Amino acid sequence: MNAIDPRIHQALDGELAPATLSGELRQAVERLVTAAALLATPIPAASLESRVMVLIRRPAPSRARRLLGWFVAPHAVTFRVRPVWSLAFAAVVALLTLFPMRHEGPDIGEHEGIAQFVGRFPGAQSVHAVGSFNDWRPGSIALEDVDQDGVWRATVVLPAGAYEYMFVVDGERWVPDRLAERLVADEFGRENSIVIVRPARR
Amino acid sequence: MDVTRAPSDAEVVARVLSGDGEAFALVVRRYEAGLLRFAARMLGGRDAAADAVAESFVRAYRHLASCRDPARLRTWLYRIVANRCKSHLARRPIADVSLDEAPPVADPSDTAASLERAEQLALVRRALVRLSPEKREAFLLKHVEGLSYEEMAAVTGERIPTLKMRVHRAREALLQVLEEHE
Amino acid sequence: MKLWLGLALVAGPLAAQSARARLEGRVPGAAIPVIDSLIQAASTEGLPTEPLIQKALEGGAKLVTAPRIVAAVEVSLGQLRDARDLLIRAGDEPPVTPGEVTTVTWALRRGLPRPVVERVLAALPRAPRAAAMHAVADLAAHHFDPDSAADLIIAAIGLGLQRERLLDVSAAAAHELQRGRSHAQALALVRGELPNVPASPKPTAGAVARARRPPAPTPP
Repeated sequence: MNAIDPRIHQALDGELAPATLSGELRQAVERLVTAAALLATPIPAASLESRVMVLIRRPAPSRARRLLGWFVAPHAVTFRVRPVWSLAFAAVVALLTLFPMRHEGPDIGEHEGIAQFVGRFPGAQSVHAVGSFNDWRPGSIALEDVDQDGVWRATVVLPAGAYEYMFVVDGERWVPDRLAERLVADEFGRENSIVIVRPARR
Repeated sequence: MDVTRAPSDAEVVARVLSGDGEAFALVVRRYEAGLLRFAARMLGGRDAAADAVAESFVRAYRHLASCRDPARLRTWLYRIVANRCKSHLARRPIADVSLDEAPPVADPSDTAASLERAEQLALVRRALVRLSPEKREAFLLKHVEGLSYEEMAAVTGERIPTLKMRVHRAREALLQVLEEHE
Repeated sequence: MKLWLGLALVAGPLAAQSARARLEGRVPGAAIPVIDSLIQAASTEGLPTEPLIQKALEGGAKLVTAPRIVAAVEVSLGQLRDARDLLIRAGDEPPVTPGEVTTVTWALRRGLPRPVVERVLAALPRAPRAAAMHAVADLAAHHFDPDSAADLIIAAIGLGLQRERLLDVSAAAAHELQRGRSHAQALALVRGELPNVPASPKPTAGAVARARRPPAPTPP
């Protein structure tokens, strides 16, 4: 990552008028301003008001129940240490990890692989992959439309093998995966898609 | 109270604390768009963002008495949502979207301008996702949600010089990506 | 043989008990006793029960009526029996393994003719044959003649390719089709490349980093 001309920062912090900048610097400022404007695009979503108010009207859980919930839920734990201790810790970690670092992400077992689900559903509110890899439970594998361009994706660790599945759009519309090239009759008048998960370690 | 103008945040908080729970709906309506946008950009997903923001509103309602300065309700709400996003990201890091992935399939009915805008937004979003959560949060609060550095300090609990550095680093990283993909 | 039968008789009711627990609340109550008896029958015969449970869960998830779910599970049991019989005719010593029954069931469900399945079984006298069957079925799904598809995969096996590498063979042939070759040209080209067909790419570091595990099913 390269440091940029400090005048760009000054202009973006309102300490310098962009008009006083040279062409290239002004262009950089405009790029970032445009990027911010794009990110300010409203997120289309159903109003949260009714959902929140329903939850508010329910009686709050008892202290005991909240405590139990706290123990069960995962929590991020942050330690604040003096820099000298941070350095010492980092040195120890570096020594211990002379061997190649493991990749980020989940540990993938010897007989596991990765399945990537992709589908184009513009306007959808939710898309789930439902199949024999999750006992046909709708809701456990949610695809996401990160870029809000109507293309939904999920990447999932599964035991190696062959699975039947469909996509469920907006909780009720069952559709086959049009990008999957393997289909099989489901005995219910429709076709399931098939995914073959190969062991990731080959 | 002057009924020709909308009640201030301090007035709404006072009403809720005096027993009018339904008045909280005004808070939700007033701030859900900005909070949802912030959470969606932090978490990279609309569903996850809606869950985080809804939970944050419920928490805010239940702890409203601890909002020390009702005139700064907005900052307080952003603090709750930011903390919830950080917890969520600690459990499940955001997707690392490769810039080499194929662009979205075009719909024939899309206009050229809206397609270009969608692609630009996609590029910016991918660049944002590459930032660390702290830098992403700093950039979003400063440049998308329009908070001052003082307000950002109240939201994040960090010192202003730290926040300025995070914003600067975020700008540098985003600019580099944007210039690479011109 | 007696030991297998004895174990199967004991395993039957146990298998049905855990299957019933998985079906309750997911499948219409009226269907469960009948499905339960079908699962017991499968277990007693040494056939895999998981495909039957999955078919019932699928029907429940798709909100299908109880009679149709039962009918689908019966069809699935019939398919498992067919697969077992085919394996025995092809020379597998009984009792055939549940895994191989599942493999052959897949092949038949994906539309491979029985003689083609038998040829692949003969080319791979020892398990596992899942990848080989799916590779042939993949080619058939791309409208390659099933016998020619089996020829290609059997040739690949003869040159030492095995397991998931056989899927690379079918992928290579499909790729040639996408590049505009005819089916015959695609088969010939890939045949000529054997055993050095390109391996499919491993998941990228980015894909691994963002991969999630689905939550474990809630115990009943």
